[in-house]
Amino acid sequence: MAMAALRREGRRFAPLISPRPITAFRSSPLAPTREDEGPIGVRYISTQVVRNRMKSVKNIQKITKAMKMVAASKLRAIQTKAENSRGLWQPFTALLGDTPSVDVKKNVIVTVSSDKGLCGGINSTSVKISKALHKLNSGPENETKYVILGEKAKAQLVRDSKKYIELIITELQKNPLSYTQVSVLADDILKNVEFDALRIVFNKFHSVVSFLPTVSTVLSPEIVEREAEAGGKLGDLDSYEIEGGETKGEILQNLTEFQFSCVMFNAVLENACSEQGARMSAMDSSSRNAGDMLDRLTLTYNRTRQASITTELIEIISGASALEG
Amino acid sequence: MASNAAVPFWRAAGMTYITYSNICANLVRNCLKEPYKTEALAREKVHFSISKWTDGKPEKPTLRSDSPVE
Repeated sequence: MAMAALRREGRRFAPLISPRPITAFRSSPLAPTREDEGPIGVRYISTQVVRNRMKSVKNIQKITKAMKMVAASKLRAIQTKAENSRGLWQPFTALLGDTPSVDVKKNVIVTVSSDKGLCGGINSTSVKISKALHKLNSGPENETKYVILGEKAKAQLVRDSKKYIELIITELQKNPLSYTQVSVLADDILKNVEFDALRIVFNKFHSVVSFLPTVSTVLSPEIVEREAEAGGKLGDLDSYEIEGGETKGEILQNLTEFQFSCVMFNAVLENACSEQGARMSAMDSSSRNAGDMLDRLTLTYNRTRQASITTELIEIISGASALEG
Repeated sequence: MASNAAVPFWRAAGMTYITYSNICANLVRNCLKEPYKTEALAREKVHFSISKWTDGKPEKPTLRSDSPVE
């Protein structure tokens, strides 16, 4: 009968009594607090803490599953857009070539990132590439500046490259991405930044699980002309005939501006696409982890419950046999 | 030939090729018939906030929102 009284006590102080098996859980992020530790010598184990934890893990799993669904549907919408937009920059690369190694005085690195987190490492990759490019291109007579798109790259670059930041652009993805929007943005960048070469860093969408960090280079008209004189791919420009009364310089300037807005459009779309893909796989693995955790917790819970039932049975039986004997 | 004559004008007005081409695109969009016109115009929304940094200090961000280039 004393047992029953104790049990009632135990129920009343449920949070006071230690669920020992939980504290043994390595992956449990909830560190056992003082209240969770029961008084020494108490033989009853409250399963309430485990039950609460199971409930919260279940809820988290639901949330991550929902986020995965959302990311998957967003990805589908944006993937076709991104793939179609590749046709915009390909002619430019065919005409002007891609010269990532060009050595100029004023470099501007355009880092494309996302506004929201929970999407794996895509933002850190583009920040890393940008920093490497910055290191590569800065010297005594070269200067390199950043133009940052998106909150996440901003948060990372503000920490140690504050003085190189020229422009920060955020809240890009409030409406679905359109060319008009990106071109207005490209226009703002062109008006606010002096450059000899723009290097745009973004994650090119390859498949749902793989993204290629990519650098596209857009040269200013003067540099294009300089490079054209040096020959190479750009030297072929002279073989084109120019119609109308425009000079080659004017044409090149228009071309550069249009190239920049096209490349930006593609970069923003590709990066948004990679973001959704990365978020999808991140959420997939986190709901899988939540499932694993739930399985382990259920096992512990059931085992503890069974153990307490067994103990009670033994007590009843031994008490009864003591009375008989 | 009209476009050739126009080149110096828009350049002189301080426009870039992008602005110029956006204005042209908007004109074309305005030529659409009704159900398609509003749809096309609603699609082209602009929204972002831009802030200029000087010497490691951010200036007040300006918000460019829902103003398709006129």
